[in-house]
Amino acid sequence: MMGTTALTTLAGTATVPQFISLATKDVFKLAPAIALFPLASFFISLFLGKRMPKGGALAGIAATIASLALSVWLVIELAIGGGTYQETLYTFVGGASDSAVVEHTGVELTFGLLIDPLAALMLVIVSLISLLVHLFSLGYMNDEGETGLPRYYAGLGLFTFSMLAFVYSDNLLMAFVFFELVGVCSYLLIGFWFREDAPPSAAKKAFLITRFGDYFFLIGVVAIFATFGTTAFAGENSFVTMAADGLNPDVAAEGIDTPGVSEDTWFTVLGLLVLGGVVGKSAQFPLHTWLPDAMEGPTPVSALIHAATMVAAGVYLVARMYGFFALLPTVLAVIALIGGFTALFAATMALVKQELKQVLAYSTISQYGYMMLALGGGGYVAGVFHLTTHAIFKALLFLGAGSVIIAMHHNENMWEMGGLKDRMPVTYATFLAGSLALAGIFPFAGFWSKDEVLFETLAHGLGGSPILLIAYGFGALAVVLTGLYTFRMVFLTFHGEPRTDTAEDPETVGWSVKLPLVVLGVLSVVGGVLNMGVLKDIIGESNLFLHEWLDGATMDTDLGALSASHYSEVLEADYGAGYEVTDLSPLGPGVVALVFAVVGVGAAWYLYSGADPEPKMTRLGRVRTVLLRNYYQDEYQAWLATGLTLPFSRIADKFDRGLIDGIVNGIGTVSMVVGRQFRQIQTGVVTNYAALLAFSLLLLLFAFGFVGGWF
Amino acid sequence: MTVSVEWYLLLSAAVFCVGLFGILVRQNALMFLMSVELMLNAGNINLVAFALYWGNLTGQVFALFLIGIAAAEVAVGLGIILVLNRNFDDIDVTEATTMRW
Repeated sequence: MMGTTALTTLAGTATVPQFISLATKDVFKLAPAIALFPLASFFISLFLGKRMPKGGALAGIAATIASLALSVWLVIELAIGGGTYQETLYTFVGGASDSAVVEHTGVELTFGLLIDPLAALMLVIVSLISLLVHLFSLGYMNDEGETGLPRYYAGLGLFTFSMLAFVYSDNLLMAFVFFELVGVCSYLLIGFWFREDAPPSAAKKAFLITRFGDYFFLIGVVAIFATFGTTAFAGENSFVTMAADGLNPDVAAEGIDTPGVSEDTWFTVLGLLVLGGVVGKSAQFPLHTWLPDAMEGPTPVSALIHAATMVAAGVYLVARMYGFFALLPTVLAVIALIGGFTALFAATMALVKQELKQVLAYSTISQYGYMMLALGGGGYVAGVFHLTTHAIFKALLFLGAGSVIIAMHHNENMWEMGGLKDRMPVTYATFLAGSLALAGIFPFAGFWSKDEVLFETLAHGLGGSPILLIAYGFGALAVVLTGLYTFRMVFLTFHGEPRTDTAEDPETVGWSVKLPLVVLGVLSVVGGVLNMGVLKDIIGESNLFLHEWLDGATMDTDLGALSASHYSEVLEADYGAGYEVTDLSPLGPGVVALVFAVVGVGAAWYLYSGADPEPKMTRLGRVRTVLLRNYYQDEYQAWLATGLTLPFSRIADKFDRGLIDGIVNGIGTVSMVVGRQFRQIQTGVVTNYAALLAFSLLLLLFAFGFVGGWF
Repeated sequence: MTVSVEWYLLLSAAVFCVGLFGILVRQNALMFLMSVELMLNAGNINLVAFALYWGNLTGQVFALFLIGIAAAEVAVGLGIILVLNRNFDDIDVTEATTMRW
């Protein structure tokens, strides 16, 4: 275990540093402000939004610009040689390391920040998308005359704050706190139109289902605390390093207390517990059902929270503690299987949806499945790469959908659109770029990342992991379906003849809508340059920028235990996952995946490209019904709640109220009855009391007499 | 000639029993007060008798205290009886039972 010396640990500096000079290294001292700017905008929008022009949007825009600028600065700093930066910002339990609490429990609860290449990359993504969504909201919310805008922008601000703070968390507990907070923001924003019926219900559903997963996560956090005494992500004393040392026979480490099972079994349990939160938040099977309903929220919210960032929190968490997961082959296999299955499963449902945003919602679930597949399959860089490109092109698609929704006067049914291509060319061009990226067509961003996901899974799978091969099969099949549903959506929305009067004469959209689309559209086209893994053999490994980035190759100091190469080492180590990599040229699998994608797109073209396309999925008959009803997932989950949990709760209620309360009430009743009888001696007549006293005394005398043997 | 201490104790017991009897059978609160007085004085007799028996004055001094306490008790008792009369128009102790359960 080397390299953690690279961490600049400044434990104990509890105050946010003042900045006076802006020398290069000082940018790290400013890092907390990345999240604090949106927090300030939250308060400003909430309390002053009514009096401000644009309902507080400007504060949010200014804050996200500042966050983005700082994040980019961090990236530049790391790119030209800065080291990883870790700082404890605030210790809320424990205080000084020699305090009584720490001595007694060995536990210190802190908020801190950890800036490494992964976090810096994610900070840029989140603040960029947040900025663009704020801009887009000017067109989507302000221009449409929505009320409650201060509440809306306050929600966005709070969300951006929570998400950024989650990203730079340096320990699992802090990550959990902000993980929950983004969930709260999601709840608030899905239910933005709370006067209607559907949004509050969808908000509750999203909250409850993600909370179900977070319940396991919470237990996991506590269990990790109990096992390691720390939840730090990085450093010599992080739980990740301790776990690795505990399993590595070459390192003489102190034994780790596990409750009666071997270390690797216990770590697997810990990993699976944390995975519960990941599955809930990243909408993986079987906890994915909240995401399609979350589309009830405003479309920019869907783009920011339910496509690009919050849903990414789960995947990001796995990447953040990948050094831990890489030790656990069982957990990795579960991650890969869940991911692969979700990718395919959600894609099938996306095939038959009629609402634009529903297709995108299922597509999002499917794409997060790919990221999980990559991480489970040992492709750390691939997972992060797909996270990056997906954030861009899916935010683009959602914003494009938002633009279409404005144009269609909030009608989302694709069968009532058609022909929008000529009437909104900017939206069409950018939406097409996003769709090509989503479908994985060369050379758009999604092609490179999705291919890398599949390639990594295949390479590790062929090394002797049949489970990964199954997951790869799911993923590869989903590529075809992705091409099909994506271009079904494109053809139905933009091509052919307009099928309604609204589509004939759509509302125009302003610059605030077009600008974010163009920015994201350009990024969707060129984003693949980050990591052209398919061409690895041609361009050389050193030109895989993201790989080099995540490996810490741009930094002066060694990234050590947080680097991609360290993760590969652990994955391949005997004490780790024990994966083996087959030496495989990425070109072959890349071409296969591209062919699959083209087949899907071609099928969509064949089925839906005419001037007046007809519903073709109806030919699927009952299969279509099953898909439209989402495999009855909602029904069985509702049944789990009402059919299983409720009767069980009733029995528990009966037990509680019958037996437990019965015993308590019985004791009370007995006391009362006895008391009611006994109080009769209190007649209120003084004479009686005196008689009682006198005769009791006599009795006592006799008793003493008998005992004392007087008689 | 001295009277032996048993006689005093017998007298004391008799006076005490008369007082106790009065408390147990009378209904008039004034009679109560008098009966209590009798019982206290039975105690006084005891104290004085024992003082004589042991040949020291402690018992007699206590008897003086007891007389003082008895006077105080009568003052309090009469006050209670006045209130009793005001509230119930009577000083029958069996009437004043409104404070029970």
